[in-house]
Amino acid sequence: MADAAIHGHEHEDQRGFFTRWFMSTNHKDIGILYLIVSALMGFIAVAFTVYMRLELMYPGVQHMCMEHADSGLFGGFFASLAASLPTECTPNGHLWNVVVTAHGILMMFFVVIPALFGGFGNYFMPLQIGAPDMAFPRLNNLSFWMYCTGCLLAVCSVLAPGGNDQLGSGVGWVLYPPLSTNEGGMSMDLAIFAVHVSGASSILGAINMITTFLNMRAPGMTLFKVPLFSWSIFVTAWLILLALPVLAGAITMLLTDRNFGTTFFDPSGGGDPILYQHILWFFGHPEVYIIILPGFGIISHVIATFARKPVFGYLPMVWAIIAIGVLGFVVWAHHMYTVGMSLTQQSYFMLATMVIAVPTGVKVFSWIATMWGGSIEFKTPMLWAFGFLFLFTVGGVTGVVLSQAGVDRAYHDTYYVVAHFHYVMSLGAVFAIFAGVYFYFPKMTGRMIPEFGGKIHFWMMFIGANLTFFPQHFLGRQGMPRRYIDYPEAFAYWNLWSSWGAFLSFASFLFFLGLVVYALRAGAKVTENNPWNEYADTLEWTLPCPPPEHTFEILPKQEEWDHSDKHAH
Amino acid sequence: MPYAWSTSSDTNQELRAWPHQSLPPHGFVLFIGITSCLIVVPLIPLIGSIVLWGILPFILAAVAGIWCALKRSWKDNQIVEVLHFANDHLHLTRHNPRSPTQNWECNAYWAEAILHARGGPVPQYLTLRGNGREVELGAFLSETERRSLYGDLRTKLDALKKPRQS
Repeated sequence: MADAAIHGHEHEDQRGFFTRWFMSTNHKDIGILYLIVSALMGFIAVAFTVYMRLELMYPGVQHMCMEHADSGLFGGFFASLAASLPTECTPNGHLWNVVVTAHGILMMFFVVIPALFGGFGNYFMPLQIGAPDMAFPRLNNLSFWMYCTGCLLAVCSVLAPGGNDQLGSGVGWVLYPPLSTNEGGMSMDLAIFAVHVSGASSILGAINMITTFLNMRAPGMTLFKVPLFSWSIFVTAWLILLALPVLAGAITMLLTDRNFGTTFFDPSGGGDPILYQHILWFFGHPEVYIIILPGFGIISHVIATFARKPVFGYLPMVWAIIAIGVLGFVVWAHHMYTVGMSLTQQSYFMLATMVIAVPTGVKVFSWIATMWGGSIEFKTPMLWAFGFLFLFTVGGVTGVVLSQAGVDRAYHDTYYVVAHFHYVMSLGAVFAIFAGVYFYFPKMTGRMIPEFGGKIHFWMMFIGANLTFFPQHFLGRQGMPRRYIDYPEAFAYWNLWSSWGAFLSFASFLFFLGLVVYALRAGAKVTENNPWNEYADTLEWTLPCPPPEHTFEILPKQEEWDHSDKHAH
Repeated sequence: MPYAWSTSSDTNQELRAWPHQSLPPHGFVLFIGITSCLIVVPLIPLIGSIVLWGILPFILAAVAGIWCALKRSWKDNQIVEVLHFANDHLHLTRHNPRSPTQNWECNAYWAEAILHARGGPVPQYLTLRGNGREVELGAFLSETERRSLYGDLRTKLDALKKPRQS
């Protein structure tokens, strides 16, 4: 029998720096670690885009020259700047392909999902449901360090010997065979291992999140009383669990095709490269929702808080998240209209894709209805939520355009597609991340980010992002194909605008990093539990800023989180 | 409420208390069922292809992973405290998920239920004192539940201490 322990049960955080940040099993610390590492990877991935946009700024090849190939990726870049254009520049298409591939792989697997799902999900989902930690804290630690290993492998793949007797592999993030099976060197293998390890990390993380969500909710918190962010994390975890094993199988077969002489995707041995595309996109399309769904959750809380109204249509919002998740699994071949599918198949995938606009529309209209008649405060997180709404809706609308097989024939592999997916997925997710950072920063650190700085950051990024990607719709309509290092003079005008937009966006990111450092050192201290208003009413706002090491060891009472009566009046 | 009384006679009663778990058994079945159905969708076009055997192990591992995780989470919380009243004898047994069962017994006349307004690991900490030992009861329950359980225990212990009419 447990003997009574009436005296002394205080939890003081006595961990040293190394113990806390390198051996932590605490969900809040691991969440912060995910955010830091994903920001670092984001910096690398965005730096690649600056390099790409620098190259595409003017027609012709100015910076990615064979003459600098011996200097390596970074040396070559700086050499191209210092020499103020070499007298001779032989285009280095491999380098271009490597940078495109690395940007895609890093952004898809190592930046957005770890930030939203690993970072915000780890930190806030257990708090919102009143759980003391994740169901399996040590598994959580393992997931994080596997993610770090994946990051390392991904960066190494850029620097390791690859195809064309150069460094890195340039096959695109989708790793289509035969490009990926024929690429020389070990760079490709490292990239596949990177995706493998990060996938395993995500699956373990998803299992942990699902178990926590299903079995550790506070008493009385039935499924349809759970906050929307936690719902979004649960559905995301479920999508990861369903989709990533398929990718893991596919890339394992790629590895054996490359190294052990199998022919899963090689027609000469009876394999089928198109089958790889089907499997890849069976994972790849849900991946889009894996990226964006946690963002939906954050945006719902931000809008409700700064419109000073409870979120409109909670139940339809939850069902819309579930519907988007389920429908996301049955539309994958709209990425492949040009591979030679039958008319019936194309018709099905076209209609199924358009159906996704319905639950997505439910969400967008519910956000607008939440703001309707509300007392809107234009604090920085709300500005980012507005930015998200605009960008995501623009991307969603061009998605409906692209969902039509006939129209997609013309737009496939053009910059129209690049503009579409960056609006809907990248910018949508990134604006949701920034909304979350500004909203939750006081909770996580106990300091406020200065409003003025936050607003400057928002406007720089909003203008920069639109300047980068909106002209790409025009380029796509003019017929400019994606994944090329050069283009004819006819495309020069909008490419120049697009490049300046990318530089402005990058400058805004640097400004943000400086702002965070400033806020951590000199930002106003938060003294109350909830620095916003009473509509930030989920359980995390009942805790101090920052929360203590151990939270909710005692079950939260229903009146602490259930405000349905209060909002009904 | 995660505690329940069962009575076989006036002098023979049993209390069972267990921690709150939000996933009921039918929820487990539903979740695993839907997950299993959805996860095999990509296998349908692969039937008859060798690629199926490349994907299948990963899909099975994912289902097995979530199955084991949910079961493990249940087991981690399978703490059951059973307080048995038999005539004038009290016997408390605590079944732990991965450590030996713990026991405490006492003559009901000398047993005392105490609700600690201050101190203890949780608010309204409930203990039983007797036979030279003080042991905790229902530390995993909510504050309200512990208060309610304390009331129940007081009533039942008082009833046991009253002289019985023959």
